[in-house]
Amino acid sequence: MSSRTTRRAIVYGLDDVESSHDVLVIGAGCAGMRAAIEAHDAGADVALVSKLHPTRSHSGAARGGINAALGNAGEDSPEAHAADTVKGSDYLGDQDAIELFCKEAPGDIYQLERWGALFDRDDEGRLAQRPFGGAGAPRTVHAADVTGHVLLQLLYEQLLARDIRVYEEYFAWRLVIGEAGCEGVLAWDLARGGVKALAAKAVILATGGSGRVYQGSTNAHACTADGMAMALRAGLPLEDLEFVQFHPTTLVPSGLLVTEAVRGEGGYLLNADGARFMRHYAPEAMELASRDVVSRAEQTEIDEGRSIGGSLLLDLRHFGPEKMRERFHGTRDLAITYAGIDPLERPLPVRPGAHYHMGGVATDVDGRTEVENVFAAGEVACVSLHGGNRLGGNSLMETIVFGRRAGRAAAEQALKKSGSAELGSGARSDGERELARLLERREGERPKAIRDELGASMNENFGVFREEEKMRRQLELLENLRERYEEVLVEDKGAVWNSDLSQALELGFQLDLALCMVSAGLERRESRGAHSRPDDYPERDDRNFLKHSLVRWTNDWLDLSWKPVTITKWQPQRRTY
Amino acid sequence: MQVRLQIRRSDPATGETRLQLYQLDHVRPAATLLDCLEEIKEEQDGTLAFRRSCREGICGSCAVRIDGRTALACRTSVAELLAGGRIPLITPIGNLPLIRDLVVEMEPMWQKMRSVQPFLSPTSDSPGEGRETVVSPALLEAVHKEALCINCGACISECDALTVSPEFLGPHALSKAWRLVGDPREPATGRRLQELSREHGIWECTRCYLCNERCPKGVDPRDAIAKLGAEAFAAGVTRDRGARHARWFVTSARTTGWLRESELVVKTLGVAVSVTKIPLALRLFRRGKAPLPLPRHKAKGLEPARALQRIVAGQDRRGARGIVQGERVLARIELVRVPEPPEPEAEDF
Repeated sequence: MSSRTTRRAIVYGLDDVESSHDVLVIGAGCAGMRAAIEAHDAGADVALVSKLHPTRSHSGAARGGINAALGNAGEDSPEAHAADTVKGSDYLGDQDAIELFCKEAPGDIYQLERWGALFDRDDEGRLAQRPFGGAGAPRTVHAADVTGHVLLQLLYEQLLARDIRVYEEYFAWRLVIGEAGCEGVLAWDLARGGVKALAAKAVILATGGSGRVYQGSTNAHACTADGMAMALRAGLPLEDLEFVQFHPTTLVPSGLLVTEAVRGEGGYLLNADGARFMRHYAPEAMELASRDVVSRAEQTEIDEGRSIGGSLLLDLRHFGPEKMRERFHGTRDLAITYAGIDPLERPLPVRPGAHYHMGGVATDVDGRTEVENVFAAGEVACVSLHGGNRLGGNSLMETIVFGRRAGRAAAEQALKKSGSAELGSGARSDGERELARLLERREGERPKAIRDELGASMNENFGVFREEEKMRRQLELLENLRERYEEVLVEDKGAVWNSDLSQALELGFQLDLALCMVSAGLERRESRGAHSRPDDYPERDDRNFLKHSLVRWTNDWLDLSWKPVTITKWQPQRRTY
Repeated sequence: MQVRLQIRRSDPATGETRLQLYQLDHVRPAATLLDCLEEIKEEQDGTLAFRRSCREGICGSCAVRIDGRTALACRTSVAELLAGGRIPLITPIGNLPLIRDLVVEMEPMWQKMRSVQPFLSPTSDSPGEGRETVVSPALLEAVHKEALCINCGACISECDALTVSPEFLGPHALSKAWRLVGDPREPATGRRLQELSREHGIWECTRCYLCNERCPKGVDPRDAIAKLGAEAFAAGVTRDRGARHARWFVTSARTTGWLRESELVVKTLGVAVSVTKIPLALRLFRRGKAPLPLPRHKAKGLEPARALQRIVAGQDRRGARGIVQGERVLARIELVRVPEPPEPEAEDF
């Protein structure tokens, strides 16, 4: 049997890494791995850097599916997919990017299938498709309720098939920017300790989202805005950061996600009076209205006193044992394990929870950013595909389409340069000094209180509904938290597996990002998509705000600017479901 | 709720380990073991090292041993652990080298996974860019469970065969192997079965079923190994000692209805090697631990057993389709349409 050893290992004695690659991908979820595969296939020498083993990435938590207009379960077309996505985005998505995405999605699905994706089939053996929120046709390809898991394993398999190197459990925390753009990244080797300098001709950020800025987020512990903050600190603009999707069905109290697919397959929402309240908010689509619409309906029910201690009920009892077992064994398992409730017997307590960041590093359709040699793809990026609100099933597809495109573009860019990539001489010692300062501090505050206050206050002041006064209060609070962070204590002084250090660095990322999010939110004086200001600016204002916000960090100052939305076919209309 | 935990700590420099007792005084009743580890790290001891990410049983980071049993910390209710007033002992998972505290080096597991070439073999006759491969849902069902694997290492931790024989491919890599051999789209199953049937492959499993027992995702790795074995048989790949050993069970059950252990040695090892075992056999016989090979007798009620075998044979259950093991599988099997059973051939059937 062939045996490959491709990466670092403590027990296998690879001493030190000072590596140089054509393309370096930071983050090894679906977007990162897809990008690496494409860059490899385009002829580049590519490596991934990830703070987790690839299959532990948060893409694996995506449950319900991946959208492409295959037309297997009813009439559909890329145009219809695009129209739904544009409407779902509340007209803030860039329509050129959306059209391209919807057109390329089916080909990518077929390729994933040929690589071995275990998608569910219809009776004829073709890919099955299910209805999802905000979609006019059954468009979501799926693998039971573990679609993200299946794709994550599949892409890892394809990585191994190509022998692509992974710097596993390397915590990247700084982009190195030189005169000619990005030269590489600095990473802390979690397993062995020590700063590693990794040079590259092109760097692709694929670090995922920022959900842990909020308490009770659906996101994994690892989703701490790393790539967005690294980009910000390197001078890149971040786009539409005020748009955070709140998923309507997160389990109380854990915040774990109950897939939208259960509503797609007929689950419904009840308030404390046992009424299907969605008929007042979205009489046509009911529970399958777009996520922002359902989350706002729930928050309104909660705010107006028709909840059960802050929870609504998700009723799946009518599914019956067979349907539950076949399609939602994962969901039932989740409910029994973390809420102690069997959804066949009792409805589940749910509430809206922070789930997905529509905003991110501003890129074009090839993942290019404003800084030379830096690319981004997946949740960390803002193409903008999702605009003000993302449709369920579009983010997994985004990781594949735009991961692939970024991988191709980065490889082409890197292959144009001769020689091997090099980092400026001072970069590594700069990084070592930064970490030494943190590690040498003997007194200070543990990160926990700061992290808890950040999460709770973001929920309170920058949640489903926003208003001027609360956002201003939040900015003040963030300033205070950032000051406290200057004295944060890393108790662990060791080199080997010092997650105390990496978690403190993550908190720094989160604080920087929260500041940008709230700043952008204050300036967007309208209600659009997931950014809802019912008390001061309840209406969408296309005349003044049909544009993307851009936040950048210049000279220790947050600079906010705007850029136009690209409109091709669909003029803004009133958005109802 | 008050929680006390004993956690095995280690010094990465010296490799020395010790137990440390932690106490948490205000834990909510629904808390998981991972919640408690987080609280210890955040509020009491920042130096405690463990892996975690998703906190919902899908990333596979946080497998640990709890009083010796491997489980995901994030799926373990701490209230249940405390039942009976015990102080749970939390240690790193087994059969992998220690890095620090609860963190182990997973590379040996990944290395074995890589060695089975865990990806669909590229085909020359794959469909064009236009469409998907058409595959019946029933055929894909064959690898459904194995695809749920989250690489947490619980099966590796529990595998006694791995402890004794570190080169054994092990339950994780072999489940992954079945994920591919069992995929109706995979063209290279013959080559794979040949390779997997070699030393340290399929037949090194000792069938203790602890991997099935402890897998947090219901992958049932032992079932996957059994399916690989059955497919190897069906494909005529039976040269390995383990395969010959298994085949003798079937033969002796069919012919005399009981396991003829003395002949088993010859059938498994071959005549030449068996001769060297004669002194051992004599010693065993003297102590009453080995039956005499002759005279042969037939077990009572043999005919109904043969009838059962014929029924199963008539159901087209060759290869992996014949493998029905594990409670979770039994729960699924009621969905399979079985042919009407023929009339029983004997009253004691």
